[in-house]
Amino acid sequence: MTEDKTIPIARLSEFVSSGQELALGGAWLSNHPMAAVRQLLRDRVDDLRVISTLASIEAEILIAGGAVRGLTFSMMSLEAYGLAPSFRRAAETGAIDLRELSGVAMNVAFEAGARRLPYLPMRDLGGSEIPTLNEDFYREIECPYTGERLLAVRAFEPEVAIVHATRADPQGNAQVDAPLSNDAEIARAARTVIVTCEELVDPQVIATNPSSTHIPGFLVDAVIEVPFGAHPTSHIPRYVTDGWNFVEYVDAYAAGEGSAEVSRLREESEDDYRERVAGPERRVILGSLATGAPALDLAPQ
Amino acid sequence: MTEYRPEELMVCRIAAEVKDGGITVLGSFTPLAYAAYMLAKLTHAPNSYVIGYNAVGMSPIQLSVSGAEASAFRGSAGRWSFSELTQTVHLGGRGMVECISPAQIDGSGAFNLSAIGDYRRPAVRLPGGAGSAEVVQHYERIILYVSRHSRRILVEQVDFRTGMRLPIDAAERAQRGLTTGPVRVLTPLAVLLKDRSDAPFRVESLHPGVDLEEVERNTGFELDTNGPIGTTAAPSEEQLSLLRDRIDPTATMRFDFMDAKSRVAFLRQLLQSEWEAAVRRTSLSGQS
Repeated sequence: MTEDKTIPIARLSEFVSSGQELALGGAWLSNHPMAAVRQLLRDRVDDLRVISTLASIEAEILIAGGAVRGLTFSMMSLEAYGLAPSFRRAAETGAIDLRELSGVAMNVAFEAGARRLPYLPMRDLGGSEIPTLNEDFYREIECPYTGERLLAVRAFEPEVAIVHATRADPQGNAQVDAPLSNDAEIARAARTVIVTCEELVDPQVIATNPSSTHIPGFLVDAVIEVPFGAHPTSHIPRYVTDGWNFVEYVDAYAAGEGSAEVSRLREESEDDYRERVAGPERRVILGSLATGAPALDLAPQ
Repeated sequence: MTEYRPEELMVCRIAAEVKDGGITVLGSFTPLAYAAYMLAKLTHAPNSYVIGYNAVGMSPIQLSVSGAEASAFRGSAGRWSFSELTQTVHLGGRGMVECISPAQIDGSGAFNLSAIGDYRRPAVRLPGGAGSAEVVQHYERIILYVSRHSRRILVEQVDFRTGMRLPIDAAERAQRGLTTGPVRVLTPLAVLLKDRSDAPFRVESLHPGVDLEEVERNTGFELDTNGPIGTTAAPSEEQLSLLRDRIDPTATMRFDFMDAKSRVAFLRQLLQSEWEAAVRRTSLSGQS
């Protein structure tokens, strides 16, 4: 009998504690582990040191809910929908510790963490001021072979990582059909890994397409099935980013109702959230757009 | 000659930097850059290799707010993680051209995507540069594009150097094993070019109908105007028709060129019409 790591989302906070360093998957407005983030708010897990390379609404609502002590990021934006309002206010008032790094170096740091190395080298960042402000992350070293100056990028070893997969089996073997971003890298670097998934499947389903298994079960500590678990970010090819919901969020914030939004998330279950925010009609639309349009033809040669 | 909008000329100018067979990477939905790379692929650079949203070797797509990511994935040859992209393209010396749209640019070629004012207690906290600090140093050709040619954007000194190519000089870069190529600034008025760290940007070309004096007056850093100054090519009829009819029929590329208020209204309008079109395509239309 193989191990069954599945848990209901209500048990998430058995695996994540206040004060921990937490790496979140996804990138841009794509595939952030949003259901898990909402559950952290419900469970009042706070004082978190969040790492999110291309951060967006997942970090934004955690900041809005007062759950974040520090944020390590290379970009933090709601993109077309504007600057992230809670992040912006927290940054401008100094309410949270911001550590702005360069995005490619953050990938290198996860690779170093996965290999249990203190650092990995990379080439320099020209005249960027980011390394000078972050000497705990970038140090100049001399290559022992060529003598050239390189940057030693400090490893990330987050205490917990949460990523959202398309499907996983009860052992935690997980496949991500959506943009992979650095989900696999953060799972390899973290000490505890939680996979949320659109669909819990039998191991035989995973075995029908094993080349898509990006995260092996031995890395994974808990598996949570939660459909539309990346909403309002996308999970291609199942659903697109819910731009309509981003507009609603930005509007609520502009109307001074940002904290009311977070309170509402805290008071409802994930099932209630899905029915309230991404109801049946919207789920059909988001799903219908997710197959994409046919490519434009190349010009005749 | 068909009338064209400044952003259409800028898209064509970016597309001209895409050589056939070269590799370009896009992050999230930046309509101007997407439109330019799609245009290049449909015209002079069918073998250029575009990586968008981790969709490797994506086909040319029609732009939309809600559908671009899915369309990029649908016609792609592969899917990569950030590590695969990092090892192969970003730090592998294989990136050909990158477009970055900063809040500030100065005469050294440094740009700011991080914060306006004091970095520790900013007047405006900006999103940050994502991978641009690495990209600007390691890609072959860099285009910093801005939607307004203004002293508020083209400043004497940026408030924070998120990224800065250094050195810029080809010989120095080659000696260090870095790709070689200049830094360009593309605005609605002109193309500025810098190919030496210790020399100012020079005016490479003025867009049709633009006076040099207007460019100088609206640039906050020193410009070299002594050399020959060309005229930026106007979009061709073929380019305009591809952009308007096929690549970007809803003109998402106008997005960067609007003030905040118009942008929000435009975005809502695009989302509304995309929703209605999606409803028509699904069974939902039968229910209403």
